Amino acid sequence: MSGGIGPGSADLDLEVKLAVYRHFAVTGMRPTADQVARDVATDISSVMEAYVRLRAQRVLLLEPDGASIRMAPPFSGVPTQHVVEAGAVTYFANCAWDALGIPAALGMPATVRSRCEQSFEPLHMDVGMEGPGRSDWVFHCLVPAARWWEDLAFT
Amino acid sequence: MLFFRSEARVNEWCRDRQSPVRPLVTIDQLWGLALAWYATRLKPESRRPRAGEMVEIFAGLGLTGEFWDPESRL
Repeated sequence: MSGGIGPGSADLDLEVKLAVYRHFAVTGMRPTADQVARDVATDISSVMEAYVRLRAQRVLLLEPDGASIRMAPPFSGVPTQHVVEAGAVTYFANCAWDALGIPAALGMPATVRSRCEQSFEPLHMDVGMEGPGRSDWVFHCLVPAARWWEDLAFT
Repeated sequence: MLFFRSEARVNEWCRDRQSPVRPLVTIDQLWGLALAWYATRLKPESRRPRAGEMVEIFAGLGLTGEFWDPESRL
């Protein structure tokens, strides 16, 4: 017997991960565990178990309920100040890095809307297939790379 | 991980929070990070860069030093 997607299998984790990312890419929103279960033809408890393993692999960040996806980087499961429009879909990014990560992941042009965190001046950045145009805005990260996943929502 | 209009705005933000000013990243460098992390994210073979790969990616974009070392104790 081979090639099956059984509970706890690496194949299931991959299918769940791909289903989550496909849903974000198509809708801009997080899927429910029930939607993922239907997409990969398994039960919700198997999806939840896969979520835990994917969290351990730093693929997903879950809400405290263990069932709702807070982050599937670069996508955010909740609204943020980093809004990305690509095609006819609106996405939320987890941070400034992920705001550019969404067009990079989708492989399509996008418009990034965010703000200067100090002055609240609006940022409007068009991102083409070759990246953003010239810009003198800057990116700043307070948390060193070694500690990014200690509190990813804060980072 | 935030956008700022200028280095001066970063300095003000850090001063207001009594936080250290960290290395600034240009938008060109940030696009390089976005590509390195996410260009294959929707594909089955996608995975996060490992620590050594992260250091190489950062260095390739001119981001060096302890702040960018994922194994640092900073």
